[in-house]
Amino acid sequence: MLSEGDWLALWVSIKLALVTTGLLLLVCSPLAWWLARRRLPGQALLEALLALPLVLPPSVLGFYLLLALGPQGPGGWLAGWLGLRSLAFSFTGLVIGSLIYSLPFVLQPLKNAFATLDRGQLEMASLAGARPLDRFFSLVLPQSRAGYAAAAMLGFAHTLGEFGVVLMIGGSLPGETRVASVALYEHVEAGDYANGHRLALVLVAMSVVMLWALFRWQRRPGLTP
Amino acid sequence: MSLQLALTGQVGNLAIRAQGRLPERGVTVLFGRSGAGKSTLLRMIAGLHPCEGAMELGGSVWLGEGRSLPPWQRPLGMMFQKPTLFSHLDVAGNLQYVARRRRVSDEHVQRVIAQTDLAPLRQRRVQTLSGGEAQRVALARALLGKPRLLLLDEPLSALDQTGKQMLLELIARCAADIPVLYVTHDLDELLALADQLWLMEQGAVVSQMPLQQALAQLDGPLVQRQDASAVLSATAGRYDPEHHLQALQLAEHGVWLPALKPLTAGDPVRIRIAARDVSLCLSRVTDSSILNILPVEVVAVRELPPGQVMVQLRLADQLLLARISSRSRQQLGLFPGQSLYAQIKAVALA
Repeated sequence: MLSEGDWLALWVSIKLALVTTGLLLLVCSPLAWWLARRRLPGQALLEALLALPLVLPPSVLGFYLLLALGPQGPGGWLAGWLGLRSLAFSFTGLVIGSLIYSLPFVLQPLKNAFATLDRGQLEMASLAGARPLDRFFSLVLPQSRAGYAAAAMLGFAHTLGEFGVVLMIGGSLPGETRVASVALYEHVEAGDYANGHRLALVLVAMSVVMLWALFRWQRRPGLTP
Repeated sequence: MSLQLALTGQVGNLAIRAQGRLPERGVTVLFGRSGAGKSTLLRMIAGLHPCEGAMELGGSVWLGEGRSLPPWQRPLGMMFQKPTLFSHLDVAGNLQYVARRRRVSDEHVQRVIAQTDLAPLRQRRVQTLSGGEAQRVALARALLGKPRLLLLDEPLSALDQTGKQMLLELIARCAADIPVLYVTHDLDELLALADQLWLMEQGAVVSQMPLQQALAQLDGPLVQRQDASAVLSATAGRYDPEHHLQALQLAEHGVWLPALKPLTAGDPVRIRIAARDVSLCLSRVTDSSILNILPVEVVAVRELPPGQVMVQLRLADQLLLARISSRSRQQLGLFPGQSLYAQIKAVALA
């Protein structure tokens, strides 16, 4: 069905989406908690900056990332320190780009989930002897399951659909930075519509299945308190 | 183990100030208008609201010397007006949540479940509980951690009469061992439970006294209520099944209480006598339908305009209130120290 190169591209896409989603869930949990619970000066500006990837053309983001990750940018300095040539055109660079690009899609559902938590229950948990981290795992996490599911799914799907940013900073190194959306673009460029169709169909099917699973799961009775 | 506190804090524009000592056991009712800061004071004691000062329970310092124990290290049980159960757990899960963290034995859990009659509800989702059932779970949860202090913030205000009765008895039983600080607006709850009364006005605890004294205080806020009452301690005597009357011993006097079932002779009972049910006469009336006529002595009188006065009376070593018209006062020529007879139209268990 798919050529070996396309399978590889699909695998890079999925790996990128998994790594990005996992890291974003870790990073966004405390960030969303903080944003949902505090009201501090400058918070609106911070939230606007964090939401920027929602509205910015991906190529703009990709352009700045390219400068930042290239040999002359801070990313280049970091790469040199790590003993690499450059973070641009590397899988690590793609992950960094995707983290920024998909951050609002993970942050928002978590923030909404945390904002609707019942403060009284958290206080009761505290009086029951639960320390903050214990409260997070025993109360916040189970009561925010729907939010986490949405965040994970949106983060994953959005990273999978990434194109502009990847094209700017990733190039198309097979097995390293050649993701499915870029592979599809290359098929079309080369006039290879047959392979393009197959890859596109696989991507459509994957997206449908993921979203279907999400919505089905969210409709489970008794999921939301 | 008594709670000693001297706290100051702030909520909105209201400065909270409280200084005092909760007795080692018994219910202290925190009374005051809404907005007086009662709930905030409870939250300060629990460590849920920032405050300054000092607080210690039975020698362990909760606040002071530059440190404040976080709520999860304070051995207390708390209950709000809303049950606030953990919504992702069932009834058993709610109880286990506390049991596991406070490391209490399984026997203890079973005992609390039995006390609160929760066994049939164990597997129920908390969303399917009635108001009374949910508050029972909340009380069980508060008791599970073997608290050394109970803080109850209007725990019964959303319940019907039958739901109330059971929880009231349970709370009274807990108060036999530990101090309970209880917020309520309800006079019935106050009279049934309180041993002490703390009065809160505009953020400050302004008076602390035993219930019986507080109720009979002529300059207090309670005498102005239509249902102003005195509470007296008595001892159960014999039962008269023919007339459904229970005899009570009040100092050296006998009092009859209408009752369908006999009380255990010798048990201490707490009776409530509303001021409006007490009338006064100069001599002992022998041809009256009123059963309870007791010799009393006038302590003080307060005008209650329009046209009424509240009379504070001494009955042996306890205080009684009578609300009479100012005209009757004139006719009787009341003065402190005067001996009179109080005719008591209705006596009820508090």
